[in-house]
Amino acid sequence: MNDAPLMSVRGLTVDFPLGRGGLFGKPQMLRAVRGVDFDLAPGRTLGLVGESGSGKTTTAMAAIRLAPASGGQVMFDGADLMALTPGQMRQHRRHLQVIFQDPYSSLNPRDRVGAIVREPLDLMDVGDPAGRAVRVEELFTLVGLRRDQMALFPHQFSGGQRQRISIARALATNPRLIVCDEPVSALDVAIQAQILNLLRRLQGEFGLSYLFISHDLGVVQFICDDIAVMYLGEIVEMADRPTLFSRPRHPYTAVLLEAAPSLARRKSQGYRRQGIVKGDPPSPLNLPPGCAFASRCPQAQDRCRAEKPALRDTGAGKVACHFPL
Amino acid sequence: MADPLMSLRDLRVEFDTRHGRVTALSGISLDVMPGETLGIVGESGCGKSITALAMMGLVPNPPGHVTGGQILFQGEDITRAKPRRLRRLRGREIAMIFQEPMTSLNPVFTVGDQIAEAILLHQDVSRAQAEKQVVDLLATVGIPEPARRAKAYPHELSGGMRQRVMIAMAISCRPKLLIADEPTTALDVTVQAQIFDLMRDIQREFGVAIVLITHDMGAIAEMTDRVAVMYAGRIIEQGTSDQILDNPLHPYTRGLIGCIPVLGREAGDAASLPPLAEIPGIVPPLHLLGDGCAFAERCALADDYCRAVRPPLEEKGHPVACHHAGQGVPA
Repeated sequence: MNDAPLMSVRGLTVDFPLGRGGLFGKPQMLRAVRGVDFDLAPGRTLGLVGESGSGKTTTAMAAIRLAPASGGQVMFDGADLMALTPGQMRQHRRHLQVIFQDPYSSLNPRDRVGAIVREPLDLMDVGDPAGRAVRVEELFTLVGLRRDQMALFPHQFSGGQRQRISIARALATNPRLIVCDEPVSALDVAIQAQILNLLRRLQGEFGLSYLFISHDLGVVQFICDDIAVMYLGEIVEMADRPTLFSRPRHPYTAVLLEAAPSLARRKSQGYRRQGIVKGDPPSPLNLPPGCAFASRCPQAQDRCRAEKPALRDTGAGKVACHFPL
Repeated sequence: MADPLMSLRDLRVEFDTRHGRVTALSGISLDVMPGETLGIVGESGCGKSITALAMMGLVPNPPGHVTGGQILFQGEDITRAKPRRLRRLRGREIAMIFQEPMTSLNPVFTVGDQIAEAILLHQDVSRAQAEKQVVDLLATVGIPEPARRAKAYPHELSGGMRQRVMIAMAISCRPKLLIADEPTTALDVTVQAQIFDLMRDIQREFGVAIVLITHDMGAIAEMTDRVAVMYAGRIIEQGTSDQILDNPLHPYTRGLIGCIPVLGREAGDAASLPPLAEIPGIVPPLHLLGDGCAFAERCALADDYCRAVRPPLEEKGHPVACHHAGQGVPA
């Protein structure tokens, strides 16, 4: 983590308008991301972890300007992305690519997959047409597809192969950063491993940085160097992988680890889960004054319900908790 | 040993498709004992959900046909049962919960009404008694303020709450067998943990046998006593959960276990971790299955004999269908 960050996010905030409460009511806003800071170093993977509604996807999409941010700064490769004109932003797009969760809805069903992979090259005007054709062939080989499959349509591929096509498309413009939004959660377990291994191999080969969104801590431990745990639009803990997994400090991180898949917890040995959280997260429209996790936290005390904990340095990472573990 | 609660005996199910008649289940035999949890594990398309539907007598027809074998529930062959008898069994004796609780609940009735409907259908009680049972059931499955929640519509509840409602409905008539088809796949991890705990509590309290259909080996470890591993419409390995997880003999089972990133405590950079074990390729389409082992094309141990002769399910410590069972590098 000594390298200068490739991407540096400060105070990122995203609001979604919800419409007014009645004709003359005040327009309501839902604050989905509430002041998020993180750095992503070249060639590394930062995991954004959390449950549905924690704001992990919105954070990543706002950081690459695919969702409108309402505040904050994003420095990427020396440029302030939030200050760029749409034309300038387009020039930066080639360095910022995305792989989406659902390989069924993210590929145009009417295009041949060769054209899908080629499209970013055409849009960004990379090289000459002959060079682009060569590049597409190269990309197909790179992600483990055959060249003769370029003329097929997306429906002729399985889920794992479609995700390979998405990866080829993302790689087309030689990006420096790829946002991976739950890239394996829609796939069968056996296929997940193929895609995760592929992503790691490509990272090593091209020095890519990944912003990796996932709710599966097993997957995160396999692929991420640093991890930020999000809860209701905020980072509640951030650390490198060994630290976070060997010594979680936030009670929510501990709960997530407890809930993650493991083959060691056996019914035959009378396994009982410890420290299970009750209930669901509170509504983001009506957040409690103190710590957002207090209502589900096994360690919560009066102070937690009254005063919001700030994200503080622990030496090995950062945690937002009055009584870290 | 007690008699099995449910037994599948050489069950065959075929489907009419545009590729002609294909065999979805080719001779499945398994027993579910009273009060135990049996896991059925495999990738999509391996036949695990069809096995679950068959246990309920719910193989869609057309296009599906049960073309051979028996489905014995407490000794009664339900493939021969009349529709009226099947309707009595379903809900009262055998209940099912599905992966997506939103689509299995009717959006225009309150959840209380839907649970009451199941009770009134199967039990000789008054409307008022049924409504009281509903509140008790919602409390049993851990729903706070059950009397108020009974009046809620499905969309007013979170995914975890809806799955609790489905479980309340499933246990309303104290069934002997509960079939759970990927019950937590659509839920967040912390909510998954809650639902698993609830299923275990219910099993302890009511002594219900559970068939858990899943692709998640973690769920198998945590929830099941015994496991059947399925591939391309057959059981390819079967044993106690400890046998399957600690000493898998089939290369497919080893692959399934080796390819999941489970939590360890290792240090160092992500790049320095060994790659995950991979099972190359995908499950072959049913209409392209040949005479040999269906897994041969994806298997590192496969030879010409495997491609020519299908291995039978044989006792090799525990039942496994592989000519090379236990050979090669363990995962």
